[in-house]
Amino acid sequence: MGLWEAVEQAWDALRANPLRSVLTTLGVVIGVAAVIALVSVGQAARSRVVGEFASLGPDLLWVLPGKAEEGQQFATQEGRFTLTFADAQAIEREARAVAGVAPWLQTSIEVSGGGRREVTTVIGTTANYLEIRGLRLLEGRFLSEADMQRRKRVVVLGEVLARQLFGSPRWALGRRITINGRAFEVVGVLRPQGQVLGVDLDDRAYIPFSTAQLLFQVNYASFLFVKAQDTASVLRAQREVERVLRREHGEEDFTVLTQSQFLGALDAILRILTIALSSIAAISLLVGGIGIMNIMLVSVTERTREIGIRKAVGARRGDLLVQFLVEAVAISLVGGVLGMGVGLGASWAIAARLLDQPPTASASLPVVVLAFSFSVLVGVVFGTYPAWRAARLDPIEALRYE
Amino acid sequence: MTPVVQLRGVVKIYHMGAVEVRALRGVDLEIHKGEFVAIMGPSGSGKSTLLHLVGCLDRPTSGEYRLEGQDVSRLDDDTLSEVRNRRIGFVFQTFNLLPRLSALQNVELPMVYAGVPRRLRRQRALELLGRVGLADRVHHRPRELSGGQQQRVAVARALANEPSILLADEPTGNLDSRSGEEVLALFQELNEAGATIALVTHDPEVAGHARRVVTLRDGHVVRDEPVHSPRRARDELRLMPAGPDG
Repeated sequence: MGLWEAVEQAWDALRANPLRSVLTTLGVVIGVAAVIALVSVGQAARSRVVGEFASLGPDLLWVLPGKAEEGQQFATQEGRFTLTFADAQAIEREARAVAGVAPWLQTSIEVSGGGRREVTTVIGTTANYLEIRGLRLLEGRFLSEADMQRRKRVVVLGEVLARQLFGSPRWALGRRITINGRAFEVVGVLRPQGQVLGVDLDDRAYIPFSTAQLLFQVNYASFLFVKAQDTASVLRAQREVERVLRREHGEEDFTVLTQSQFLGALDAILRILTIALSSIAAISLLVGGIGIMNIMLVSVTERTREIGIRKAVGARRGDLLVQFLVEAVAISLVGGVLGMGVGLGASWAIAARLLDQPPTASASLPVVVLAFSFSVLVGVVFGTYPAWRAARLDPIEALRYE
Repeated sequence: MTPVVQLRGVVKIYHMGAVEVRALRGVDLEIHKGEFVAIMGPSGSGKSTLLHLVGCLDRPTSGEYRLEGQDVSRLDDDTLSEVRNRRIGFVFQTFNLLPRLSALQNVELPMVYAGVPRRLRRQRALELLGRVGLADRVHHRPRELSGGQQQRVAVARALANEPSILLADEPTGNLDSRSGEEVLALFQELNEAGATIALVTHDPEVAGHARRVVTLRDGHVVRDEPVHSPRRARDELRLMPAGPDG
């Protein structure tokens, strides 16, 4: 029997039970759609986040508290409080390949101003930060050296926070906001930076690092931003920073990451996340496959007599195997194609919403090929056993079956 | 001349759980080309088992079965499928047509498995349906046909690959007497045209249409005799009132 005959037969058989066929197909549609959507959204998120960090500039380094284990980029929670402002000063003073250092102390807290209250991220840093991150001002000025030395209670707002509190960035200048019970004067508003993975970089308030330490009663920095003189001196800067800190601390309780190392680590984490999510989605594809197997087993039992008749008129085991296998693969293939459409549509919508960018076709192509072959594989794997059961039926018993 | 069917000392034993059923206990039987044989016997006599063996749906436990001289008693399943496909035509009591397929597609089915090209297949199926008087019903599905018509489709299907022998298992059992007689008339016509036919029945009237009657009892052939003046189905039909099939 030719393959085309088998395809025609499968189509007839599937049409005989439309609702059952549609529901079984739906199982595969959902599985394939879930895999495609999660993988492509994961990929898009990864490229987006990596892109965001890459745009910070290739000459950036991070100094993180705690020593990363061998083979890992990020430290465990231990030694969170080992970095200080003195470290930042020492690096700035001694590391020749370093252009600037900005300490960073961050906390989430409610602030009030303009008659409103907002929970926002308050960041303590120094004047250097503006230049290190290459940020631009919309209004007023950024934090200054003098603010830092005198622990002044001045604040620079992100554009979104300024609008939330005062209606417009323009009206924020010179106004007061209250952080942790203390009044701060707004001296500047930053230009919008946008969002990274739903985190709004403009919903922030920057205060002098020294003021922040006083305000929150701590003496450490969350981490330090370091800018190398230029791209070529990044690795030299890394070595110098390590040398200075080793001497200052007397031990290696910190980690210095270059941008590419940071990106690599970030990329690895996001990759694992994507794989984990897709594996969960793959389970639904597995369930879809089990649905196919279940329905094919029912179908083989229901059609025992048909199988007997076919055998009596000369069907070989291979003919029946092919017939039922083609039915199973037809379900999974149709499910795969529809699921691909749904999955791509969903990932497009999700990406457009969450990441402000549709996933690119080139990123989706391998996913599509993978999901497609996977759905065919599901049909073959879960269709083989029922088809084999059909093929090995004894014709006499099958003909007697009521 | 080589007989179409040649059974020598055929024994068939079934095991139904712990019980051993000796359905055939040494059967010798020859059916020659052009014969019309009725196989009779009460239920449990082994006549269905014999039909299954002759039809290559099953293998004998011991003994030898030669189909047109070829020993088919030890062939594997797939080879038996091919033998059934090319050389055996089955007609069953319950017609056993595939309900989703049209009359035409049902008749084509054995040719599908024989690998006959599509166009040739269609042409031959149409021809066969014409021969059994159903030229105007080729696209009907089985449930749109009367019992007699369904059985005639089944006969057309049985003839599809020009088999060596036509095997019928109580072919009139599910039909009213007129439709049954018409099917028997069809068998007689086919036989007169040269077809070899073996028909299993428990009904002496049906068996009386054959030219030879083999009687089975307890797994043995107890009688094997010619019918001196077979009933003529065409004549019987003339004596019957017209039925729904016309």
